[in-house]
Amino acid sequence: MTHPLEQLRDDALREIGSATDEHALEAARIKYIGKSGSISAWGERMKTLDKTERPVIGKLLNEVRNAVTAALETRSAQFRIEKESGALARIDISLPGTPGEIGSLHPLYQMHERAIQIFRRMGFALAEGPDVETEWYCFDALNTPPDHPARNEQDTFYLPDGRLLRTHTSTVQIRAMESASPPIRMIASGAAYRRDEVDATHSAQFHQIEGLYVDENVGIADLKGELEFFLRELFGSETEVQFRPHYFPFTEPSLEVYVRSKALKGGEQWIEVAGCGMVHPAVFEAVNKSRGDNAYDPEKWSGYAFGLGMDRLAMILFDIPDIRLFAQNDLRFLRQFA
Amino acid sequence: MKFSVNWLREFVDLPKNPEEIAELLTRAGIETKNIETRGANIDKVVVSQITASSQHPNADRLTVCEVDDGSGTKRQIVCGATNYKVGDKVPLALPGAKLPNGTEIRKSKLRGIESEGMLCSPIELRLGEDASGLLILSPDAKIGAPIGDLFPADTILDVEITPNRGDLLSHFGLAREIAALSGASFRAPKAFGVEESRGETQRKTAGSLDFARDDKLIKISATRECPFFSARKIGNVKVGPSPHWLRAKIESVGIRSINNIVDISNFVMLELGQPTHAFDADKLKGDINVRLARESEKFLALDGKTYSLKQDTCVVTDQERAVGIGGVMGGEETAVTDSTKNILLEAAYFLPASIRRTARDLNLSSDASYRFERGVDPDMILQASHRAAELIREIAGGTPAKEIQVAGKLPANPADVSLSYVKCDRVIGVAIEPETVDEILTRFGLTKTNSSREGGTWKIPSYRRDLQRDVDLIEEVLRAYGIDRIPGTTRGRFMPTSPADRSHDLETFLLRDRLVASGLSEVRTSKLIPKSASALSQGAIELRNPLSEDHVALRPSLISGLLEVLERNVRAGAERVSIFEIGRAFIPPSGKEERHLAILLWGNAANTPNWRSQIKRSLDLFDLKGALECVVPNLSFRPGKFPDLALAVEVWSGDQRVGFGGQLSAGKSSAPGSVLVAELHADLLLENESVKKFRGLDRYPAITRDIAMIAPEKLTHAEILRVIEEPKEPLLESVQLFDVFEHREGATSAPAGKSLAYRLTYRAKNRTLTNEEVNAAHATIRERLRSELGVTLRE
Repeated sequence: MTHPLEQLRDDALREIGSATDEHALEAARIKYIGKSGSISAWGERMKTLDKTERPVIGKLLNEVRNAVTAALETRSAQFRIEKESGALARIDISLPGTPGEIGSLHPLYQMHERAIQIFRRMGFALAEGPDVETEWYCFDALNTPPDHPARNEQDTFYLPDGRLLRTHTSTVQIRAMESASPPIRMIASGAAYRRDEVDATHSAQFHQIEGLYVDENVGIADLKGELEFFLRELFGSETEVQFRPHYFPFTEPSLEVYVRSKALKGGEQWIEVAGCGMVHPAVFEAVNKSRGDNAYDPEKWSGYAFGLGMDRLAMILFDIPDIRLFAQNDLRFLRQFA
Repeated sequence: MKFSVNWLREFVDLPKNPEEIAELLTRAGIETKNIETRGANIDKVVVSQITASSQHPNADRLTVCEVDDGSGTKRQIVCGATNYKVGDKVPLALPGAKLPNGTEIRKSKLRGIESEGMLCSPIELRLGEDASGLLILSPDAKIGAPIGDLFPADTILDVEITPNRGDLLSHFGLAREIAALSGASFRAPKAFGVEESRGETQRKTAGSLDFARDDKLIKISATRECPFFSARKIGNVKVGPSPHWLRAKIESVGIRSINNIVDISNFVMLELGQPTHAFDADKLKGDINVRLARESEKFLALDGKTYSLKQDTCVVTDQERAVGIGGVMGGEETAVTDSTKNILLEAAYFLPASIRRTARDLNLSSDASYRFERGVDPDMILQASHRAAELIREIAGGTPAKEIQVAGKLPANPADVSLSYVKCDRVIGVAIEPETVDEILTRFGLTKTNSSREGGTWKIPSYRRDLQRDVDLIEEVLRAYGIDRIPGTTRGRFMPTSPADRSHDLETFLLRDRLVASGLSEVRTSKLIPKSASALSQGAIELRNPLSEDHVALRPSLISGLLEVLERNVRAGAERVSIFEIGRAFIPPSGKEERHLAILLWGNAANTPNWRSQIKRSLDLFDLKGALECVVPNLSFRPGKFPDLALAVEVWSGDQRVGFGGQLSAGKSSAPGSVLVAELHADLLLENESVKKFRGLDRYPAITRDIAMIAPEKLTHAEILRVIEEPKEPLLESVQLFDVFEHREGATSAPAGKSLAYRLTYRAKNRTLTNEEVNAAHATIRERLRSELGVTLRE
């Protein structure tokens, strides 16, 4: 048998459910659980009940009141949401967002950051050296003989006092070894200069990252494994890497590094990305001489060194056709890399 | 250098496919830049002889030729070339022939005259780049023979030889290398020196020559620059065109045919790597001396140019004058000509460094200097002289002197090199069997003179002067073993943060990222600037040898670069340019390198027209200050004076001047409107940066009070601020200016001056303030403003 309270509850829930607006809902609230509502009236009636009946009905009354209150709240929340979204629905959400004023980093810097972050994950620390150098740091210490073609005024910019603009960042290798004993594991990035006619792939000033790792038992296998790791991090794990013998005065053996990847423009072509090799013993000997000790004993320590052209890497990675775009700084170009 | 695969095959067995040869070389560090197929195996192109020629009746530039194609009937061909004479043999494309460029030859009428075929230029047969005239064939070519008989199929490899490998600059040398790399069998050149071994030549010093008339003595004064010189007299030569095979061979690798004597000299160089030079012996006066030139001594070279020699130029001279720049180029006056009868054939060794210097000083290089610079094989010098003499005898009918005259000493053989297997394994990073190492080195012509379990001592062949230390030998092992067979390892090592790491990170987090977040774009401009760059770059250190007007001096300031970027972007239609650069500047006079931060602002404050913000204004000094303040807190700005700035401020951080900024004077930039620039010494900004420490958060609420005032026009914000803040009111936490309005006289009812509004925030660290306390403090400040500055306070 249905208790009258249960009947009242069912009536109230039905009325709440069918209420079409806030007013109807409020009327239902007053009717059932208002001060003199029909459910509230049972509160008074409790006192007249039998002591045995009272707890049972009391419990029922509580349940009924809770159920009605909850239904009222649910229905009321529905009305609030409908009202709110009705107002917001008039807003044209296709209007543009308030423009933020965010700038952009130069693609060469972005390239440089990508590269050094990989190298730092590999345990390299940064090093620095000046752009204006002496012949000693740029050539002599790097086993480049006095009559070497690279040293002439057609290829290298000289200052009136005989100093020069470094033609490669390998100068920092020498500075790093002069100021610290092995082991050494460093990268240095910066500008280098060559007296090249400017065209789509040549610039008088370009950017390099130099790497040097001197330790006990460093070999070609380390150079190979570590540069392969770097290049795959940079260009993607699918990248193929090839090492070919080459010649540089300051490394022996010397190698050139090529990459190939379907993800890069040029697809099947091998692209040259770096020069590298095992530090030439004559370089260690020059450093020892300048340090006045035998800290870099070529019989005890060996090392590898590499140089990467940042401009070239950025051109490959970002698909940039002309090196001159970097120095022109057209904002339409720069903002593409924001 | 260009190599003919057919020619290489004379010395070594090669794979059929030229791509394979290229791959083999490239993987061994001898980069093949280009592979070109040559030869003229073209149907219906035959050797013909021009038997008559007449002017085309209807065209000035055409001639009508009668040619013999070997069939018995003459053909009539219309021709546009002018480089032939009647009697010349030339290639004829008969009707039906299809040329490599796709042209099909038909019988046709040219300006009304019938042409039964076409006479061809080298480029049309893809036998060379010359398109200027007909390919004149050798007189011994057989009329009617297919052109393919004269130019058999060949492949030309364009190979980049690294400067340490002069021994590869010949067909013989490269073939020897290929044999060593591939293990293929190797054949020495046919006419290899029979008489001249190293020991014998030393005995044949100056003396007997065949020509009694002029028995020249050879002397070397410049023994350092020219350690060894040899000369051989060859009498009764007939100078003339080369036979077809000789011409085709040198032309296939890009050397122009001159005459049989010169061609033989070039042929021997291409074959064996040793340059030789033939003088007209009858034009040499007296004895030969190899000496250093006198300063500014004049010399007319074979290229027709007169060179002014330097004191350290090594010259070959007769008793009157220089007749050759040693190892670089012979002289015009003693050159072999059609009338030459007797020749003196030079084969010598010149010091690479000396040749490099001469070639550079005179800006003159030749195939000979290219080889001497890289070092020729001393053991090949007399072989080459002998080879050339034999060829001259065969081809030009000359009679070589029985003996060769020599002076000086051949450079000593390279020193032996020791190699330990352990060192080899260490440098390469994998263990390679000692037998493999030995086998590879032997293949490269090295001989083991002393052997032990640990390694051995190796005798280096005379042509491998680049092999000086153990690592040079290890490189050879690596090249032949194959780099691909070395597995890469990744072991690494931990390194502590360096000062450069710290500096980089501060630059990134404190400067670069903040500037980008506040809307500026980073640029990178050249560190080399034009001479005429703005006054801000006065005193810049100029290069001794600039290349172009745009790159003459080292920038002492970054601003001239930013101005160039501004102008480029304004031309491209930009409405707003807000840019920065962080980079090195070179401070005159020493060129001290400093890291600078420079900012340039120009144009609209908003990037694009924007529906949310109605105010349109241009960027101004306060935007510049705002940009600087967002990067470096607590900067102060003081009035300053700078060239090129109409409005200038000094920028201070604490008690240190860190830079300057301001508005460019009108006319200093082509960009219209105000240009704001600033440049700070970034190293100074970053050097005191340290880890930030926590301060307790405020626990009690703040109370704010505003002050609005009308101040005289000349009263500055700084003065007002000072009066508000000093003497310090303990409860006053901060002051913010939130409105400034300038009145012009008569524009409003208010008196002339400006309205300013400040918000003052009061707070106590240890309790909630009462209104009464704040009112009292605020009243004190208001009173100070009124009495000290005479401003009119608004209620």
